[in-house]
Amino acid sequence: MTEDHRITLQGESIAVSPGETILDAAARAGVEIPTLCHDPRLEPAGACRTCLVEIDGWRRLAPACATVAHPGMIVTTENARIDRHRRSLLALYATDHPADRAASEMGAPDQLLAMTERYDAPTDWGTMPPCREGRPDDRNPYIHYEPDTCILCARCTRYCAEVEGVSAITLAGRGSQTTISTVDRLSLLDTTCELCGGCVDVCPTGAMTEKLPLVREQKPERELEKIRTTCNYCGVGCQLDLNVDPEANDGRGAVVKVTSPEPGTTTNDGNLCVKGRFAYDFIDHPDRLTVPLIRGADGALHEASWDDALEAAARGLLGVKARHGPDALGFVSSSRCTVEENYLVQKLARAVFGTNNVHQCAAT
Amino acid sequence: MPPAIIQVESTGQWQRRSVGNDNAPRVPEILQRSGGLRAGVSREVARATGMPEAEVYGVGSFYHLLARPNAEIRVCTGLSCALAGAPRVLVAATQAGLAAEPCSCLAGCDVAPAVLRDRTVIPAVTVADVERAGPDASRLGSDSLGDDQRWLGTIGPERGDPEQLALHLGGAKDLAARAYQRSLALGPEGTIAEIEASGLQGRGGAGFPAHIKWSAVRRQAGTTRYVVLNADEGEPGTFKDREVLMRRPDLVVEGLAIAARALGAEDVYLYLRGEFEIPWRSLEQAIAAFEETRVFDGLRFHFHAGHGAYICGEETALLEALEGRRGMPRLKPPFPVEVGLWGKPTLIHNVETIACVPAILNRGGAWFKNLGRGEAGSKLYCVSGHVTHPGTYELPLGVTLDELVEAAGGYVGTLKAFSPGGASSGFLPASERRRSLGFEALAEAGSMLGSAGVVVLNDTVDMRWAAMQQLRFFEDESCGQCAPCRIGTRYLRVSLERHIDGERAGHSAPALDKVSEAAWQMNEGSICGLGQVAPLPLTTALEHFPEDFAT
Repeated sequence: MTEDHRITLQGESIAVSPGETILDAAARAGVEIPTLCHDPRLEPAGACRTCLVEIDGWRRLAPACATVAHPGMIVTTENARIDRHRRSLLALYATDHPADRAASEMGAPDQLLAMTERYDAPTDWGTMPPCREGRPDDRNPYIHYEPDTCILCARCTRYCAEVEGVSAITLAGRGSQTTISTVDRLSLLDTTCELCGGCVDVCPTGAMTEKLPLVREQKPERELEKIRTTCNYCGVGCQLDLNVDPEANDGRGAVVKVTSPEPGTTTNDGNLCVKGRFAYDFIDHPDRLTVPLIRGADGALHEASWDDALEAAARGLLGVKARHGPDALGFVSSSRCTVEENYLVQKLARAVFGTNNVHQCAAT
Repeated sequence: MPPAIIQVESTGQWQRRSVGNDNAPRVPEILQRSGGLRAGVSREVARATGMPEAEVYGVGSFYHLLARPNAEIRVCTGLSCALAGAPRVLVAATQAGLAAEPCSCLAGCDVAPAVLRDRTVIPAVTVADVERAGPDASRLGSDSLGDDQRWLGTIGPERGDPEQLALHLGGAKDLAARAYQRSLALGPEGTIAEIEASGLQGRGGAGFPAHIKWSAVRRQAGTTRYVVLNADEGEPGTFKDREVLMRRPDLVVEGLAIAARALGAEDVYLYLRGEFEIPWRSLEQAIAAFEETRVFDGLRFHFHAGHGAYICGEETALLEALEGRRGMPRLKPPFPVEVGLWGKPTLIHNVETIACVPAILNRGGAWFKNLGRGEAGSKLYCVSGHVTHPGTYELPLGVTLDELVEAAGGYVGTLKAFSPGGASSGFLPASERRRSLGFEALAEAGSMLGSAGVVVLNDTVDMRWAAMQQLRFFEDESCGQCAPCRIGTRYLRVSLERHIDGERAGHSAPALDKVSEAAWQMNEGSICGLGQVAPLPLTTALEHFPEDFAT
C-alpha cells in the first residue's frame, strides 16, 4: 500500500494494494458489502449480484467482488439506488426460495434469509413453485442437494474445480431450470467426487448439506456449539469445528457434525477431507477403546490402569529383545500421530530398544 | 480444464480466460458428432478429451440441440410463427407420431411457421404438410415452396438502384475484391478512417460505432488479434443475416478480410448458429470461390457452429461458446476488443455490419453516410407479422413503419402495435407509426432499433398474449448465470400467467403491481443485455395497452 494508491470509499479516502478488489478494500476498511457467491478461495464470479456498488463515471453498477480498486476511484456502497437494488434483488430471490426459516435451515444457516432481514427486503412478491431438478436418489452417504434452496451462486462447482481440482459437479441446464448436477445425474459415488464436502462448506444457503444430521433429525446448526480442534486423522493438523449438541447423550453432549473454520483463519484454509468432515461417528462408537486393556491368563481382555498397561507392554518388548535380539522388534507408527510423536517413536526404537526397524504408515 | 483467471492490466478487471486455443478439443462439436447428450456420452467424450466429465455434461446440457437429442422436429413458436399457426403445426406433428418440440426463433419469421429437422430449417410448413409427411420426419417439406426449398425469403427492393444500396441483396455476387484491394492501398489507418467517415453502427442490436471497435483492437499491444463473425441470428423477428449469408456471402467474406488485414489478424472465426446449415453452405461456397482467386492468401477462415442458444449472440457468450464452454456472458469491462477470444484482442461484428464494409471502401464513407436519414447508411429491415409481403427490405436507416410496410405491400388488417427491433425492443403503439426507425429515435421512445426485426400486430391480437410469447422466449433463453435474469424472466411470465388465469377463473385477476420493480431490478442488476431488456415486452404492453390488461 502506498500513498498514491488510494480510493474514495463511501466518502472516506482509503489506501488500497495494487490489484485489490473493491470488496477486499472495503472489508479492510470495515465497510459492509453483502455477498453470496463470493469466497476468498475462489476466483470472482460476479453472479449473485448482491455486491453491486456505484463507481463514479460508470453507467452501470459494478460487482465489488470482481472489480479492482483503481487509484482515484470514487466508490459508493450505500445510496438510494444501491438500496433499491439490494431490496428488489432480494425480493426476487425470495420468490424462488423457501420463506420458512425453520424449514430451510435444517442444516446450515441460510445467508440469503439473513440478508433479506438485514436489508428489510420485501417478501410480498409471491412465490413460485420449485423448478430445479435434484438427485434425490443419490445413494452417497454424506452429501444431500436440496435444489429448492439453491441460488445457483456456483460456489460449490467452482470450489470443486478450482480448489479441489475434482470437477465432480457442474452447472447444468439453462435459464430458470439451471441446477447443480453430476455427469448424467449420477450418484456422487459413481463420479470423480472424493466426498470432501467442500460443496457443503461453501454453500451460502444450506442447499448443499450433510445427510447424516438430516437423517438423524439433529438440531440445526444454529442451535449447536462450535468447538475448534485439530483433526486427528493425519499429521497435517487441519483445524475443524466440532458442532456439539450439549443436551445429547443425557447431557454429556454429542458431536453432531463437523464444519470448517472461516477461510483464511487456519492453515488448512477451511478445507477438509472426507475423514475430517464426515468420519466423526467414532467418538461415541461402542467399539471404541477408551481404557487400556490387558489380555489375562484366561485369554480375555481386562480393563487396566495406564501404569499397568505400559508395564505389561514394556515387559513383553524387553522379553522379545532378550530372547531374539533387538532386530526382532519393529515399530510402526501412525500417520494420525504428530511429527513430534513420530519422532519419539523412532527415539524409542533406536535409543531404548536398539533397532532401526521403525516405520510410519504414511512413509511409503 | 477450468478457465484460468487473468487480470487485465489496463482496466484491472478480472476475466475468465481459457488456457486453450483452437487446437484444444471442442466439446460441443464432439458431443454433436456423438449424437448429443445421451447417457454415457459425456463420459466417453471426457475420456477422449481429458475434460472433466461433469464439465462435458454441463456444456452439453446448456445447448438445446445437444441436450435434447431425441427431438425429430422442432417447431418455432416465436411471435411471428405463432401468428402464422405454429401451435397447430406442433399439435399436428405430435398427433402424426413425430417427436416434436417447440423451439425458439429460427430466423424464419418471413416464411412462418419455420420447422427445424436436424439442423436444417424447413420454411413455411403447414398443418397439411405435416399430415402428408406423417410419422416420417424425412418426408416433411413445404408444399407452398415447391422445389425451391433454399430458405430464401422476399427481398426488396428486388432490383434496386445499387447507388442507393450498400448491400444490394438482389445483386450478383462480386468476387473481384476491389474493396479489399482499395483497403490495402489505403492502409490500416486509412481504412479505419473510411469506416469512421461512414458512420457505420453495429447492426446486431447495440448500434455501437464500428470504427471505435476497429481502432481499439488496432491499439492493443498484443500482436495476435482475431476477427469473429457473429452469425448467431436469433432475435425473434429477425432474419436479415440469413438473407445476407444466402444471397451476398461475398460481401461478408470480403468485409471480414478487410477487417482482418486492417487489424493485423490472420485468423477469422465464423460463428453460425447451429440451425444455419443452409446459410453455412452458402458462406462456405463463397470462401471456396475466393480461395480459387487466392486473393485472401494468408488469411484463415474457421467455421464454428452454435448448438441452440440465443444468448450466444451476446458477444462474450459467443466467445465462451467458441472456446467450447457454456455460453454464459462474461463480466464487462474488459470488452472483447481488449480481452476477447482466448484472451486476445478481438473484433466481433454482426453479419450485416461486416457486409457493409466493402461498399464503404468502394464508394467511400461519405457516400454510405448519406444513404441514411439522420443516421448513416442503408439498413436491412426485417418485417413480419400482419403485413402483405413479409421479408427483408433495404431502406434508408431511419424510415418510418408506414414506409417500411408500404414497401412490404401494406398492412393486413388495422395496425395495433409493433416491435421495432425484435422481442428485446418491446412493443410500440400504432401512434408511433411515423416515428423514424433509427437507433436514436427509437431509444427516445424507450424502445430500440436492435436488430431491426420489425413485427407488425393488427387489432386481432391481445397484447397479453403477445407479451407472453416474448416472456417465454426470454425465460427459455436466459443463460441462468445471474439471479436478476434467471429468476426475473420466470417471475414475469408467472405473474402474467396468474393474472390471466385469475381472470379466466372469474376471480379478480392478481395485480401485476410488482412487475415494474422486478423490471427495474432486471435492468439494473443483470450481467448482460438479455436480462436488461427482457421485461420490455411486458412493461411496454402495460404502458401502451392498459386496456388489454383491464379486468
